Amino acid sequence: MSKKVLIIEDDKFLRDLLGKKLSSLGFDTVLAVDGEEGLEKIKTEKPDIVLLDLILPGINGFEVLEQAKKDPSVNEIPIIILSNLGQSEDIEKGLGLGAKDFLVKAHFTPQEIVKKLQVFLS
Amino acid sequence: MENLNQEIEKKEKELRKIRLAFLNILEDTQDAKDWAVEEKNKTMAVINNFTDGLLVIDHENKIELVSPTIEKLFKEKKENILGKSIFKINLKKIKLKPLVEILKKKKEVYRKEIELGEGILLEMTTAYFDFGKKKGILVVLHDVSKDKIIERMKTEFVSIAAHQLRTPLSAIKWSLRMILDGDVGSINEDQKDLLEKTYTSNERMIGLINDLLNVTRIEEGKFLYKPEKMQMEGIVVNVIQDNEDVIKMKNIGVKFEKSKKLLPPVVIDEEKMSLAIHNLLDNALKYTPEKGKIVISLEEKDNEIIFKIKDTGVGIPEDQKERIFTKFFRGSNVIKMETEGSGLGLYTTKNIIDSHKGKIWFESEENKGTTFYFSIPV
Repeated sequence: MSKKVLIIEDDKFLRDLLGKKLSSLGFDTVLAVDGEEGLEKIKTEKPDIVLLDLILPGINGFEVLEQAKKDPSVNEIPIIILSNLGQSEDIEKGLGLGAKDFLVKAHFTPQEIVKKLQVFLS
Repeated sequence: MENLNQEIEKKEKELRKIRLAFLNILEDTQDAKDWAVEEKNKTMAVINNFTDGLLVIDHENKIELVSPTIEKLFKEKKENILGKSIFKINLKKIKLKPLVEILKKKKEVYRKEIELGEGILLEMTTAYFDFGKKKGILVVLHDVSKDKIIERMKTEFVSIAAHQLRTPLSAIKWSLRMILDGDVGSINEDQKDLLEKTYTSNERMIGLINDLLNVTRIEEGKFLYKPEKMQMEGIVVNVIQDNEDVIKMKNIGVKFEKSKKLLPPVVIDEEKMSLAIHNLLDNALKYTPEKGKIVISLEEKDNEIIFKIKDTGVGIPEDQKERIFTKFFRGSNVIKMETEGSGLGLYTTKNIIDSHKGKIWFESEENKGTTFYFSIPV
């Protein structure tokens, strides 16, 4: 069965590019455009893994992460932060809240992001 | 009779002389008094107009002098503070405890940061001096509350700017990479060549933004974020691994000569130290022609870990060696080579080594090669 990846990303172009890449590699992709929808889909879709942006309209990525980790029905789902923030404070905060990894978008290609996903899915 | 008159005249003369002398003394005293008053006025003018708060405390901890700025900082009138013991006064709006704690230690402090309540941040400096025959303390309070707000705003700005600049660059990077990888259909060699070059330019832009962010953070003085005790070896190995693509592409022999014995751990900020070593390796790779050699080594000497990176590159022109660590510096010989570079790498590296209380130096000969060294205390 193909693995389900939830991409929470407000930038349409980035979201579509990554969705396309993942679909072409046989992943089942679910997209969310903001924090509220992302949190909702974590709970309803129960993805195998989540790619989470931090700067989002409405509730931001940190809050999504915090709330997901508080909910026992979904707190086992690995969440990887994929953001263009990347100062030490942000990374520390993200990992402290329970993210599995912190990837700076500009430093990774879609292929490299997939590689990271596979590490946490296997 | 004649004698008596002469005697009186003589005495009179003496008296006149004495009178004159007295008048002179009186005049001198008046001058001295005027001078003292003038000096006092000057001192008071300095104290009253000093932008920092000044507080003088005598040997019995009584407050002897309060400058107008102190009244503002303490939100209290002078009359309610003067003559009272600094250890006993209670202010309505300000917590004096952090200040009192420092005074109790009876040690001079210089620009020590203290917080006297919500959002009131001061830098405290004390000086012990002779106060007549007894000792007194001068306390200087410098208000940095506004500086802190500006600093926080700057950090936020940098963070937002980074995000805003990186997002479109990520989109360019991702789409170019997907086209180049054939994810959206095949492209011919010419197209591929052109897009590869575009991709490299975009990578340069991403790198430049990282450099600028790092420089901004250095200047904020909060560059050493997370110092931890660790081995340097692992960091060097990782940095070399991260650069493997370039090493292969340029066909440069990179050798890491590990120390024979286990090196003692050092207190370093891993991320920043990686960046410092990366910058040195990046320069060596950039400025060493294809098929060149780079040798990296680590050793312990006199309680210091010494990092050394030796290349067979183009070297640094003799007349530019002094400026090598300045911001935006680039060697005239490397500008001609049309290599990319922001001139921020060595500036950043030196700042990182400095903040680790280390030293950085180099030896270089044009067209032969360069060796950079840095040392970190164990």
